[in-house]
Amino acid sequence: MKLYDQIFDVVKQFKKLFSPGPVTNADVSGSITAEIFIIVSLVLSAILLRHVNVLLAALVTLILAVVLISNIPLIPKFKKEQDDSLEKMLFYAIVTLAIIVVFMYWGGNLV
Amino acid sequence: MAQTQLAILMASVALIVIGVYSAIFIDNIIKKIIGISFIEEGVNLFIVAIGYKAGGVVPILMPGMDTTWFASNAAYPLPFGLVLTSIVIGASTLAVMLALVMVLYRRYGTLSTKVMLADTSKQEEYNE
Amino acid sequence: MNELIPIMVIVPLMAALLISAFSKFNKATKIFAFVVAICLPIIPLASNYGLHYFGGYAPILDNVTNVMYHPAITYSFTFLQQIFIAIVGLLTFLVVFVYLTKYKKVSGPYLFLLFLGTAAVTAMILTDDIFHMFVFFEILALAQVGIVAASSIDYSYEMALKYMILGSIGSPIMLLGIGFLLALTGSVNVTDIATAVHNGLVDITSPVFLMSLALIFFGWLYASGLPPFHTIKSGVYSKAEPHGAALLQSFTVISMISIVLIMFRIFSTLPIFEVLIVFFSILAMILGVSLALTQTDFRRMIGFLAVGELGFIGLGIGLGTTFSLTAGLFQALNEILITALLFIGFGAIVEATNEVDTRKLGGLLAYHPKVSIMLLIGGMAMAGVPPLNGFQSKLMLVQASLNCGYPELSILAIMVSIATFVVFVKTFYTMFLKPKPKDLELENKEVPRSMIFTMGVLLIIIILLGIFPDVVTTGISNFVGGIL
Repeated sequence: MKLYDQIFDVVKQFKKLFSPGPVTNADVSGSITAEIFIIVSLVLSAILLRHVNVLLAALVTLILAVVLISNIPLIPKFKKEQDDSLEKMLFYAIVTLAIIVVFMYWGGNLV
Repeated sequence: MAQTQLAILMASVALIVIGVYSAIFIDNIIKKIIGISFIEEGVNLFIVAIGYKAGGVVPILMPGMDTTWFASNAAYPLPFGLVLTSIVIGASTLAVMLALVMVLYRRYGTLSTKVMLADTSKQEEYNE
Repeated sequence: MNELIPIMVIVPLMAALLISAFSKFNKATKIFAFVVAICLPIIPLASNYGLHYFGGYAPILDNVTNVMYHPAITYSFTFLQQIFIAIVGLLTFLVVFVYLTKYKKVSGPYLFLLFLGTAAVTAMILTDDIFHMFVFFEILALAQVGIVAASSIDYSYEMALKYMILGSIGSPIMLLGIGFLLALTGSVNVTDIATAVHNGLVDITSPVFLMSLALIFFGWLYASGLPPFHTIKSGVYSKAEPHGAALLQSFTVISMISIVLIMFRIFSTLPIFEVLIVFFSILAMILGVSLALTQTDFRRMIGFLAVGELGFIGLGIGLGTTFSLTAGLFQALNEILITALLFIGFGAIVEATNEVDTRKLGGLLAYHPKVSIMLLIGGMAMAGVPPLNGFQSKLMLVQASLNCGYPELSILAIMVSIATFVVFVKTFYTMFLKPKPKDLELENKEVPRSMIFTMGVLLIIIILLGIFPDVVTTGISNFVGGIL
């Protein structure tokens, strides 16, 4: 029942997302579409790992699916992390730079 | 020979690391911009270091110079040319950034990044 | 006439300088800007294919190693460059036309920025010299910041400064990568570097070579607005004037493909290169479209959609076959046209209503039928509805990923198209079809005729490319065959 309640709590959470201002049905349905889209597409992209290892792909896909579905609504969290403040933009830019550099230095020849 | 070049390279790495640090952790916008311009300077220094040649001569062919001796002893001129262009670009970028900061300082009365460049998507949407 | 090749860059550059110097003569400036803008799409169409060596320094053949060296900055002009420069020239003409008809007193500096940006992207796609490209990339960034800061929309200065600060991290990092390549090969000419890499003169497993890829790749992410730069890129679009945003997105797309083609020629021997590009493209598609679905400001929504569509271009290039590269470049061409149409069309709505929030709009179909129908067709083209051009390129991309053995990517591409369609249905409904809110005051303002003319021109090209895609794809396919 907990997951059931959580799913029906999603609409209430979206209300906060669009405040201040009214929440229209088009916006909520758009957000729910985005929610489903993001879960499905991330799980689908995880299947791409089968080109590395089939077992790994299965494991990652299952774990990702469970984690994503048990954490709905995802869109408010995603949107909060991708707002317009310079601090978050700079932080993510530097983190991406660090990940790319580290990944290329130690893992560039593995693929 | 190698020590000089190594020292320059380490200095450039230090500049880049300071720049990246200041990009995340410094709040004052002017300090942040100065810090970020360190990245640019570090990169320029790195490219200069590529062209370094121990005991090399200035890459200008003077009359009466032996061309084979010149070819084996002159420093590599391309990096210096590139750095010159890059410095000019960096200076103009810096000028534009500071000009924008001036305008924004007059509007907000503070230099804090958290206030000046915060998330604005909420305010503008429903306050018109 | 190969002399026309440098002229393509020189004309907008000189026009920019002259306009900003003599901007106090209003009428003369207007006429001059109009004439130059009309020349921009004509010059590339009149020019012959070929190479141009600046200073006349022709390539030198090294007799010992039998390798050609290019001492001069080289511009290479083929079908791909021709079509993209012609399209961006046409777009510049339309944008300048919209701008000139909108204001009685034109601003010299603003026209300067428009022409400077056009000159910069033209040089970026023409050049065969990686540092030359970097210089024009920086000039382009300055022009973009200027275009954003010049708009009268709230918070445009803040967004411009944010873009600039992120740029002053992204660009030096890219320059560092170029420095690594220079240290490895001693050259900045892309052909020379690619020859050295493919002939085995450079150890492609060395950390320096891998680092140069990582750093240039980061610069490319900044240039093209893929994640983590998708928020700033969409923000920049939404804070520029609509016609400026239409031009800005074409600058982004062209700088994206010109950098990625250079990277492709140098790094395509590394398998990880394609993995990186595909990874960030998928991320861009997912984040761009899912954030577009939750926006209430329709300018921001188009901005996020434009970023999401960039993922398709990256996908085509990341798959790395002739067919997929052709599809990706064709998609780039289509995206320039479609997104320009959408920005100008939604800009016309802003002009007529002074409102950007979809929640406060409604019932506009009765007031602006022409604009709404054209916007609907543009949205369908972006979502990939046949027989429009977006359908052709997306179909090619789906086929390409199936041929490469990645059915997941095909499904993902189709899903992103469907989600794009949902965004349009939702926005079209809330803006044009749902009953008009009571407090919405439509002051009987007409949409400027120049905007409708611009949208009509773009729409005709979109439909023509959708019906006859071979006109472009054959030439692009030949070009791709040359670099693979």
